[in-house]
Amino acid sequence: MQDQLSALLAKAIAELPAVAARPDFEAAKARYVGPNGELTALMKQMGAVPKEARPAMGKLINETKAQLQTHLDAALARLEAGELAAQLGPAVDATLPAPDAGPGTYHPLTLVREEMCRILRKVGFTVADGPEVETEYYCFDALNTPADHPARDAQDTFYLPESARFANVTKKTPGEKYLLRTHTSSVQIRTMLKGEPPVRIVSPGRVYRRDTTDATHSANFHQLECLYVDKNVTVRDLKALLDYIFESLLGKDTKTRFRPHYFGYTEPSFEVDLSAKHLPKVKKEWIEIGGCGMVDPTVFAGVGYDPEVWTGYAFGMGLERLAMLLYGIDDIRYFYQNDLRFLKQFA
Amino acid sequence: MKISRNWLQSYVDLGGISEDEICRAITFLGFEVENVIRTGAPQLTNVLVGEVLTRNKHPNADKLSVCTVSLGDALGVKTIVCGAQNYVVGDRVPVALPGAVLPGDFVIKQSKIRGESSDGMMCSAKELGISEDAAGLLILADRPLLGAPINSVLPPGDTVFDIEITPNRPDCLSHLGIARELSAWFKKDLVYPQENFRGVLADNAATRADLLASVRVDVPEDCPLYLAHVISGVKIGPSPAWLQQRLSAVGLRPINNVVDVGNYVMLESGQPLHAFDARKLAGAQIIVRRAADGETLTTLDGKERALNSTMLVIADGSKPVVIAGIMGGENSGVAPDTVDLVLETAIFKRQSIRATSKRLGLTSDSAYRYERGVDPHSAQEAAWRAIDLIIETAGGQVVGPVVKAGSDIPWQREIVVTHDYITEKLGFDIPASEMRAAFEALEFTITREEETVQPARGPAWTITIPSWRDDLDRPIDLVEEVLRLFGTEKIPAAVVSSPGLVGDDDPVVLFNRRATDYLVGHDFHECVNYTLRPGAELKTWVSETAAAELALANPFVEDQSHLRSTLITGLLASLKLNQARGVAVSRLAETGRVFVERNGQNLECAAVGFIIAEDSARHWQPRAGTDFYHAKHHVVALAAMAGVDLARQPLAPITGPYFGWQEGQSAAAGEMQHGWTARFGLLSLAMVKAFGVEGKVYAGIFAILPEKLAAATAARRRYADFSLQPAALRDLALVVPTAASAGEVQKALAKSARAAVGNAFVLEGVTVFDVYQGKGLPEGTKSLAFSLVFRAPDRTLTDDEVNAVFTKIQDDVVATSGYLIRK
Repeated sequence: MQDQLSALLAKAIAELPAVAARPDFEAAKARYVGPNGELTALMKQMGAVPKEARPAMGKLINETKAQLQTHLDAALARLEAGELAAQLGPAVDATLPAPDAGPGTYHPLTLVREEMCRILRKVGFTVADGPEVETEYYCFDALNTPADHPARDAQDTFYLPESARFANVTKKTPGEKYLLRTHTSSVQIRTMLKGEPPVRIVSPGRVYRRDTTDATHSANFHQLECLYVDKNVTVRDLKALLDYIFESLLGKDTKTRFRPHYFGYTEPSFEVDLSAKHLPKVKKEWIEIGGCGMVDPTVFAGVGYDPEVWTGYAFGMGLERLAMLLYGIDDIRYFYQNDLRFLKQFA
Repeated sequence: MKISRNWLQSYVDLGGISEDEICRAITFLGFEVENVIRTGAPQLTNVLVGEVLTRNKHPNADKLSVCTVSLGDALGVKTIVCGAQNYVVGDRVPVALPGAVLPGDFVIKQSKIRGESSDGMMCSAKELGISEDAAGLLILADRPLLGAPINSVLPPGDTVFDIEITPNRPDCLSHLGIARELSAWFKKDLVYPQENFRGVLADNAATRADLLASVRVDVPEDCPLYLAHVISGVKIGPSPAWLQQRLSAVGLRPINNVVDVGNYVMLESGQPLHAFDARKLAGAQIIVRRAADGETLTTLDGKERALNSTMLVIADGSKPVVIAGIMGGENSGVAPDTVDLVLETAIFKRQSIRATSKRLGLTSDSAYRYERGVDPHSAQEAAWRAIDLIIETAGGQVVGPVVKAGSDIPWQREIVVTHDYITEKLGFDIPASEMRAAFEALEFTITREEETVQPARGPAWTITIPSWRDDLDRPIDLVEEVLRLFGTEKIPAAVVSSPGLVGDDDPVVLFNRRATDYLVGHDFHECVNYTLRPGAELKTWVSETAAAELALANPFVEDQSHLRSTLITGLLASLKLNQARGVAVSRLAETGRVFVERNGQNLECAAVGFIIAEDSARHWQPRAGTDFYHAKHHVVALAAMAGVDLARQPLAPITGPYFGWQEGQSAAAGEMQHGWTARFGLLSLAMVKAFGVEGKVYAGIFAILPEKLAAATAARRRYADFSLQPAALRDLALVVPTAASAGEVQKALAKSARAAVGNAFVLEGVTVFDVYQGKGLPEGTKSLAFSLVFRAPDRTLTDDEVNAVFTKIQDDVVATSGYLIRK
């Protein structure tokens, strides 16, 4: 019997490495250790073994069984590894490009706008939005623009016909004409009319001027305006905001300066110049980047904020102009052509 | 406004102050220097007066001469090679010696020209930078001293600053106005022109009714004050050189002494003036009235102007002679034979002048000033000043006192402001003495100064505002004045103060951001297109009625005449541009406002749109093409961001001639019934082809009312418990009519399944997984195979209970819908 066990083990060791497929393996397994297998048959002979030899023989059978199992496990592992390997193709050439179009890209105006919004959010500004079709009240009257101001001329501002109806753009007074907003300041008015101060918003958005399109002008472009209304807001606070914005955006070597100017909706009013040595288009020069000022008391009175109590500042700038400075783009029309060779440069 | 430095010097001493400093001052006073123009000779060194002693032909060059030139005793005689032809021996000319630097950084050196040595250069006017005349040497008149520096011989140069004056400061549309600002900035005295006349003599002189019998103003609301002075015996001729130089410097052509004085005084004081030839005024009358409809006047620019009853004119007894405040007529102007003058200085209402100027498309220096506002007190001053200059340059004498219609315009304005108030607005301290000095420098009179109730808070000033500063009427306006003179460059730095957030970003902004992130994450290139599109194109997308409503009243160019109703056309235009430029492109997307029609009214919507074109790039390994369901997939995802579950919405095919989409290959939902609309699928092949785009284009757009978006983001989902038990799956294929949509079949099956399951356990899903049409199925039918998922919350389902339900479902769906079970 001892010899039979040794022969069985030897046969298994010889046979199993040659098993190449799972059915062959299952058959071999059944042959050796299955209920009708050879080992089982040998174990059945235990009754014929003398009583004193049984412990030794039992031990031998168990050892043989364990060894058989080890060889079976090894064979199975080998088969499984082979099966997994069969699922694979040849090794890839990792240097081939992915055959899909992409990746997608953000438009540079979006990148600049979002960066500005992030910078402003850090100091408490939330993003406000409003309609692009506006009425004379929100775009002009509420901003202290007199009825005969040249900015309101049909020469400079796009109007819609008197018959036009925009059901979800509210008019303040029935006779008002619809127009395309010339600045996002109308959002400031709508925001102030909607809620109580304090207010701290940034309103980026599309605006329209009746202008000839050329390298620096576009019939529609984008602005970004900030409005802060609170108690005891000062000119110095306004300057601090501008310094903060442009240092955050362009780095510590950036400087801003104010020049007195005139806007109907702020008093005092300033134009903002900026200098940043590392920008190719700016260098040491001062370059005009936007306008700002302290909200005129007349504007507060118009939206029902007590000008004796509330103070505030507003700042506005063109996003295309900023993007042109940041990226060194020299033609505003590229923003609206969407040539992929342009779009892919900024993402 | 062009401002001459030489002219300014008459009112404020800017000697020793550089051009750069003056520019800086103007800039920080609040005006933009658009241009600096230098006229006349720059300061030149080593350029002296010389005399040509001899002139001989150059031995080696036909057109050159070799001259000897005397520069006086100290410098002696030099040899100079010269190419000019316009001089003779004995002429005195400018000579540039080695070391001189001529305009254009032209350095003069000792040199050899064609073998002959030359000790310098004789110069033309152009080479000296005083004019464009390069025809020959500048021959100096009056035989100036030999060896004298050239600048001592040439008339002095001038610097002209072209300044943009903001609309709130009409007082600075004058040399005096700018001089006042600069005197305040540089802390120099402002010197007004000395006046001799001031009405003294005229009051005593006799009136001459034959020259001016009466002045009448019919519309005092448009012309509150009209002054006429009569000057007789003038002699019209050219102005003196100084006057001509000043006018030329600021770009005005000198005409004759009287007209030039009128212009000069306007540019000095800001008050427009007009001079009539008294003999041309019919009836010796001046009437300020509205024009009659149909009247005409040929203005001084030679054009006939049709007038109407909205326009203010100055008329004589029979006809209009001036379009008030804008331009005089040819019929009454000063001519070479004019002897007697009527000089007008008046105040007109700004709005009236602006409206007429706009209607006629006619502007002038005078109109420009009246439109912005003229100092109501300047009319008399300017008249006196002009009379002085007319008598000085054209002779004559004043006849009779001023003839006045209307009355002096009252002006009294006081503003009370405290040091404390200004400091509070500025956020930093400027000493009270400095504020006071600023007011005084600008010629504001401090009529009272008192300590405020709390003395520590500084003084309160009562300030009288001069009549030329109509822009100042509140304390806040004086804050700006103080800050201007303090210097806005000196605003001290500070840290941004930022109390906590007061809200979240606008829902539209959040939506656009999410949608863009999604699309960029799915390989789309974000585009930005114009909102304004051509009207013809729009008719493909909306009804003609809606297109009409989207038309601008005053488009600027034809291809930007209408508001966009969709983002698709802009994206197609971008696609077309890339295709035309040979740039491979497939996926483009955009977010932005569109204008959607609903019941005849337009609604401004937030929208997101995309297109997927056939990828024109060749790839080493092909990918499966795009189909309708790609577009659907993205629109469903985008709608979900706006709180719209498209799976629960009925989808309708897009049909009809307008809508840009391919029938049978596209679908729509919403249609603004609940404030949103979604469209997606294949774009009309014919439309795309007509657009000039190659290949099939799939697209999708989702638009929603901004207010709807605000409401959508407010809802918060509730968690629903789910089972951890194993699922039981059954597949069922139904044979249905070809026309039946998967959606309606799914709905019917799901209904039967829910009924059969009841409360016994849970039906987790009914999902289509196969669609088949063709062999083995009856004509006019197709097979839809569904996978049904069952699960119990608390136990493993047995085959028996699932089978029982499954049988019931099959019986029920066949019975209720008439569909057949495919075995």
